[in-house]
Amino acid sequence: MAEKKVLVVDDEIHIVYVVAIKLRNNGYEVVTAANGAEAFELACAEKPDIIVTDFQMPAMTGLEFVEKIRQNEETKDIPVILLTARSFAISKEQEQDLQISGCLSKPFSPRELLENIEDILYQRAVVNREA
Amino acid sequence: MKFRRDLYVIVTGIVAVSLFIGALAGWLDAGTEEGWRFVGYVQRAPVVLVCYIIGAVGVIWLGWYWLKLAGGITSIARRLKKETADCRLSIADCKSKIGNRKSKISNIDELSEAIGERIDSYSSVIGELEKQIEDLQIQIQLTQRQKRNIEAIIYSIRDAVIVIDEFDRLLMANEAAGRLFNFDFRSSQQRPIGELVFSEEGDAGKNEFVDILRQSRQSKVRATRREIEFSGKPQKDRKIGTPEDGKSRTFDCIVSCVYDERGQICGVVAVLHNITREKEISQMKNDFVSQVSHELKTPLASISAYSEMLLDGEAKDGRMRKEFYSVIQSQAQRLNRLIEDILNTSRIESGLIKVERAPVSLTILIEEQLQMIKSYAEEKNIEIIAQKPIVFDRVYADKDMISQVIVNLLSNAVKYTPGGGSIKIETEVDETADIARVSITDTGVGIPEDEIEHVFDKFYRVGANESCAKGTGLGLNLVKQIIEKVHDGRVFVASEPGVGSTFGFELPLATRGAVEAVV
Repeated sequence: MAEKKVLVVDDEIHIVYVVAIKLRNNGYEVVTAANGAEAFELACAEKPDIIVTDFQMPAMTGLEFVEKIRQNEETKDIPVILLTARSFAISKEQEQDLQISGCLSKPFSPRELLENIEDILYQRAVVNREA
Repeated sequence: MKFRRDLYVIVTGIVAVSLFIGALAGWLDAGTEEGWRFVGYVQRAPVVLVCYIIGAVGVIWLGWYWLKLAGGITSIARRLKKETADCRLSIADCKSKIGNRKSKISNIDELSEAIGERIDSYSSVIGELEKQIEDLQIQIQLTQRQKRNIEAIIYSIRDAVIVIDEFDRLLMANEAAGRLFNFDFRSSQQRPIGELVFSEEGDAGKNEFVDILRQSRQSKVRATRREIEFSGKPQKDRKIGTPEDGKSRTFDCIVSCVYDERGQICGVVAVLHNITREKEISQMKNDFVSQVSHELKTPLASISAYSEMLLDGEAKDGRMRKEFYSVIQSQAQRLNRLIEDILNTSRIESGLIKVERAPVSLTILIEEQLQMIKSYAEEKNIEIIAQKPIVFDRVYADKDMISQVIVNLLSNAVKYTPGGGSIKIETEVDETADIARVSITDTGVGIPEDEIEHVFDKFYRVGANESCAKGTGLGLNLVKQIIEKVHDGRVFVASEPGVGSTFGFELPLATRGAVEAVV
């Protein structure tokens, strides 16, 4: 089975680094970006299987980034996990509208993040197989 | 009559003279020689006879005259008697009339007595009324004084106060209300409030205000409280109703009904308290709490994640473990700095902070803080250019506080400088002014000119740069507080958007004597 590709987006270099190590150690290919604009370019170019993005970032917020990838034909179906330091930052309606697959609050557990990613990718694989 | 009386006197005189002469002639005849000589003369003429004749005629005439006179007297007496009787009748009549009059007078007396009594009672009533009028005048004076006091109070209130009557006409307004709605508050009395306040240009707040006034009066609710926002859109053709500065403002509007003695609403009082600034501060505080929680959680997230990675054995080798420990340490320091910023801001503002002053070298402090910030700068590939320590740059200051100032300025410089940029740190001593000056110049994003004056304000974040980096808006405010409030120094800033910024501070030099004494 080919390595699943994860795009990790956060302006905090330490967070990107730790998530990348956790995922790489568990067999994932990781691409990283420090802001929304850079992340969108990478998402279009790399077509990751899943995106893990911070909510509050300079230049473009996590929500704006997700809105942008949902509008793009090539990236609109990529599942997204949102990392946020702000409680109640987004509503359930926003989550549904933007098809956000998961939302983890900072401080988060890399272990839990990994489990989330695996669950989402597994469900997606099941759905694709059934389709 | 007069002629008769004169005639009677003359005749009487003639009779008397004739009789005298006759008598004298008779007496002399029987007397002296001289008498004789005289008589002899007289006897030559018939004087005596004539005299006696005249006398006799005179006596007869006098007798007739007296009889006539007596008859006249009787007639007069009769007439007098008749007249007397008439008079008596008249007197009786008069007496009767007088009696009647007296009776009338008696009635008049009674009447006048009654009138007098009435007048007395009226006088006492008038006295009471005068007293009441006096009291009323005093009360009117007091009321007028109270009115003037109330007017003075209302005019001096900074909140806008508007009083309208039951027909929605302006009774009273103060200067603040005049300023708010742009009408002359002294000459606008009796004008309909809708005309003064109503906005045709769609300022919903003003129209809402007029509606609230009307609704309060109609619904008879004693007091209503509402928050109203005036958009402050300038109006095209009319000045009335346009706020002077055209800025949007929020008001806490309290509307109370005024009741008359019958319990009917006779007016409405509205007080508009400008809460724009309070709302802004409240919003800033909310943003601050949100921002601080984010800022606190970010290093905490790193500490938590790296600790878990170490516990899960995700670090493959010793070098990686060391790297993880290093991240945990640096993030813990970052967290500590942030907490210190928050606490120190609060302590300085409350005056509870303990200041431990000692002579400290600014360049040595800068060197120490550079070690902390170096790794952060290296992450972004930012070059730091620091000068070598200079001879005498000691200031008499709290070392920890000045360290915090330096680290805040340095971390800001790194934060807002794009990768590949540089930060230059300079320390100067101006012995003439007796000050030491530290300047930190970056090649960062810079600050727009209209925002420069606010960069040291609490919670303020430069709008254009918010997307560049996160922050609480506390760091620079703390720098200003420490330098200016605690150390009597001065902060300064110069910036050009897209080119970079220079932040710095000046502190009074420690006197050489004080330094040597401490050393």
